Amino acid sequence: MIEFILPLFGRFHPILVHLPIGILTFGIVLVFISRNDQTKYKDSIRLAFLLGGIFAVLSSISGFLQYQHEGFTWETVQFHFILGCATAIASFGLFYEMNRTSSSPKNLKLKSGGLFALMLFTGHLGGNITHGEEYLIEVLPPELQNLIGYEIEAEKGLVLPEQGWEELVYYDEVVQPILNQNCKSCHNPKNLKGELDLTSFDKLLEGGEDGSILTAGNPEESALYSRLVLPKEDEDHMPPKEKKQPEKEAIELIRAWIDLGATKSSKLGESSISPETLEPFFHRVEKSFYPEVAVEAASDESLSRLKSESFFAEKVSENSNWLMISCVNFQNFSNQDWSKLTEVKNQIVYLDFTGTQITDAILDSLNMLENLTVLKLNQTGISGKNLQVLNSNKNLKHLYLNKTRVDLPSIQVLNEHPILEKVFAFDTPLANNETKEKFNFILEIGKYQLPALPTDTIVY
Amino acid sequence: MKKVEKLINELTQQKLERQTRRHFLMDCVSKMGGLALAPLMLGCDSGSSSKASAGLNLSQRDLNPLAPLPPPFTGKAKSIIYLHMAGAPSQLELFDFKPELAKYHNQPCPESLLEGRKFAFIRGVPNLLGPQANFAQHGESGAWVSDFLPHFSKVVDEVAFLKAVHTDQFNHGPAQLFMQTGSPRLGRPSLGSWVTYGLGTENQNLPGFVVLTSGGKTPDAGKSVWGSGFLPSVYQGVQCRSKGDPVLYLQDPDGMSRDMKKNLISAINTVNKSEFDQYGDPEILARINQYEMAYRMQIEVPEVMNINDEPDYIHELYGTKPGSESFANNCLLARKLVEKGVRFVQLYDWGWDTHGTDHDGSIDMGLRNKCREIDRPMSALLLDLKQRGLLEDTLVVWGGEFGRTPMQENREGKTQSFLGRDHHGDAFTMWMAGGGIKKGASYGLTDDFGFSGIGEQVSVHDIHATILHLMGFDHEQFTYEFQGRPFRLTDVEGELIRKILA
Repeated sequence: MIEFILPLFGRFHPILVHLPIGILTFGIVLVFISRNDQTKYKDSIRLAFLLGGIFAVLSSISGFLQYQHEGFTWETVQFHFILGCATAIASFGLFYEMNRTSSSPKNLKLKSGGLFALMLFTGHLGGNITHGEEYLIEVLPPELQNLIGYEIEAEKGLVLPEQGWEELVYYDEVVQPILNQNCKSCHNPKNLKGELDLTSFDKLLEGGEDGSILTAGNPEESALYSRLVLPKEDEDHMPPKEKKQPEKEAIELIRAWIDLGATKSSKLGESSISPETLEPFFHRVEKSFYPEVAVEAASDESLSRLKSESFFAEKVSENSNWLMISCVNFQNFSNQDWSKLTEVKNQIVYLDFTGTQITDAILDSLNMLENLTVLKLNQTGISGKNLQVLNSNKNLKHLYLNKTRVDLPSIQVLNEHPILEKVFAFDTPLANNETKEKFNFILEIGKYQLPALPTDTIVY
Repeated sequence: MKKVEKLINELTQQKLERQTRRHFLMDCVSKMGGLALAPLMLGCDSGSSSKASAGLNLSQRDLNPLAPLPPPFTGKAKSIIYLHMAGAPSQLELFDFKPELAKYHNQPCPESLLEGRKFAFIRGVPNLLGPQANFAQHGESGAWVSDFLPHFSKVVDEVAFLKAVHTDQFNHGPAQLFMQTGSPRLGRPSLGSWVTYGLGTENQNLPGFVVLTSGGKTPDAGKSVWGSGFLPSVYQGVQCRSKGDPVLYLQDPDGMSRDMKKNLISAINTVNKSEFDQYGDPEILARINQYEMAYRMQIEVPEVMNINDEPDYIHELYGTKPGSESFANNCLLARKLVEKGVRFVQLYDWGWDTHGTDHDGSIDMGLRNKCREIDRPMSALLLDLKQRGLLEDTLVVWGGEFGRTPMQENREGKTQSFLGRDHHGDAFTMWMAGGGIKKGASYGLTDDFGFSGIGEQVSVHDIHATILHLMGFDHEQFTYEFQGRPFRLTDVEGELIRKILA
């Protein structure tokens, strides 16, 4: 027989399987809609079971051929195959029973129900093989997924420590995680695309259907690297262009590993890799600028109330509960208006009173803003006489006092503040006095000048 | 009268009787087709549904398209000042120091650089042109800056340089469009439009996206460089003039007092309100809002656009001369606008196209004059933002649309009487400063002639991705549905330039 016939027939499996499903379902429906004493549909039912059985056999054969030619393991397909054969046998069994007796066989409904369940389960297992076991679960809402005990097991990307990365075992701690994230879903023992398994070093060495994919010391000759850098349009490009592509740094890491000799034991530090290449993979716990405590979100009603009062009131980001408040469109804001802000006092981290009518007295109310991080009091009547009350705003980092009347003594009290980082006091009495004083925070008094240069006036 | 009523009733009765079950079913079927067709024609949709898909607050936005929105992630910057040097300044005379190139001055350019290359004007084999400026390292960061920018060399520690930016366009119009909209062809929204679309603006009495031009001309690509493309047109840049009325037709005409205007607008809005009560069309509410905003802007725009009240030392710092149109005035205005909560201020300065065809376009003289016009103002802008604490959350971007060749231009194969350089997009310098930018950083390497990038190259898309990142967006998630597919500023490209992030 011509060699391609068998694998070709195998590939018809995904189409063939629908025939027994349809035909048997039709027969089973007829069984259920006919009354026990009726024989009206008997011939049709019998024919359905016969045809269903025949096609179930063809499906099983094509399925077996596909298993043999397409790189599936027996563990993956065994139950699907056994149940498929069972479906075929059961169909013939029911056909035989229908033939034997002139009236309806006993418990026909029960038996057909069993056949239906068998067929359904076979189909489901088949679906799991082609689409993956998460196929149906994936689309469910997360709450429902948790309810049925399914945990989303996303393959974590490569994460490297910023210190001591030189000592990492190159293959185990760098290459394998990259393969896991980018290649494993198609190249694993269950799903052996190209007969290639990339889940371990030994399997990697075995290569795939075209032989070895690794030539130590020569990345260009190693399919493991060269197919990653082919143009995306090239059909040999990996991962396939519709899949997520690895970072260019990840590809560079693979290249350098092969260059180094592609051994299991070499260390990352022995390669030509520079820290810049590793940059995207360093695990940085970025210290958040705003406090790292959880507060309840301000209600939508409070927010729209603030907005209707002409405040700029917006969350720091979509998923944050911190609020930024500004009076840029509420320049008449005065101390009496303070009460309008108290309902969101826990959420305010950024408060801009620039240009408003506030006076020193308002500072006493500010201490209820526990999370306040940035406070702008520019261009207001603040004299600075009671700035020490801000020392109780433990999270305050940036304080803006531009164009106020603050002076040196009034600002010295802020040295007591635990974390204050920057104070801006441009265009204040403080800025006009030369001061050599050192503060625990950065004091910005500005007054920058760009001295005139002879070149300023030369026209060429 | 009764008779007429009776007749009418009879007629309706008859009509209804003729409406049979078959008619009803047939209507159902034919209208079903319409239902099916609707989603296929989404491209004709005005965009209200796509706003919802981008996760924006629909109702709030329909009433006031510029209402502020929180960014998806906590951004490092709240505002942007983008200084675009239209015409493309020469990186080889400003920031990219190439001593090797000086050694080969006036020698024929190696063939290997010219092979398969197309230039805008260079023909045949041109001579190399050594740097026409003197370079020195400045600040603690040791950044190379030429003596064309003596003031700027004092503030280099505030900025991060990108020294190997590349673009694939070598004509001004397309390159400017590419730099500002992410595509060299017309039709895409500009960077400023994207940002104001995504974040709205803080100050509701001012436009969210302001454009200021200097240098006597607007950019070659026309107003599309601040256009809104397929985004709603309310997000396009508002060009303010630095001379005369900042926004045309904003002033009341003679004989119209502000009180009268107020009455007029409130009367119009009463009519619009009753129209809305009847039809419930949110467009009407948006219109009511626009009238009110225009009224508010009448006060605040002239106020913020007036630089006369700035103290003398500020004028000295910037080198401003009120009443004229200059880059210096625009820089000062940019600071004032950002201080007042404007989201995006775009400056264009025209006159950087130094081909060497005349005195003004010469590398050694015209370029020097041009540099003097921007040197003090842009340095002053950084210092002024810094002393007010505005640099904490304002991003400043500087650059042209491409760079210039290391070769002397030889238009039509002839030797020119002035020194000039042709358009070149393989490697040029840009810089950023302020919110979220690593101070004193330098990223990008170019070859010995400054012809191509040889490491740490960044594309225009990378720059856009980085700018959006600093504003709190993931450039891959920030999309707008148009003509049946989601569009991004960076389309399908763009990588974050992590090395210049603080």
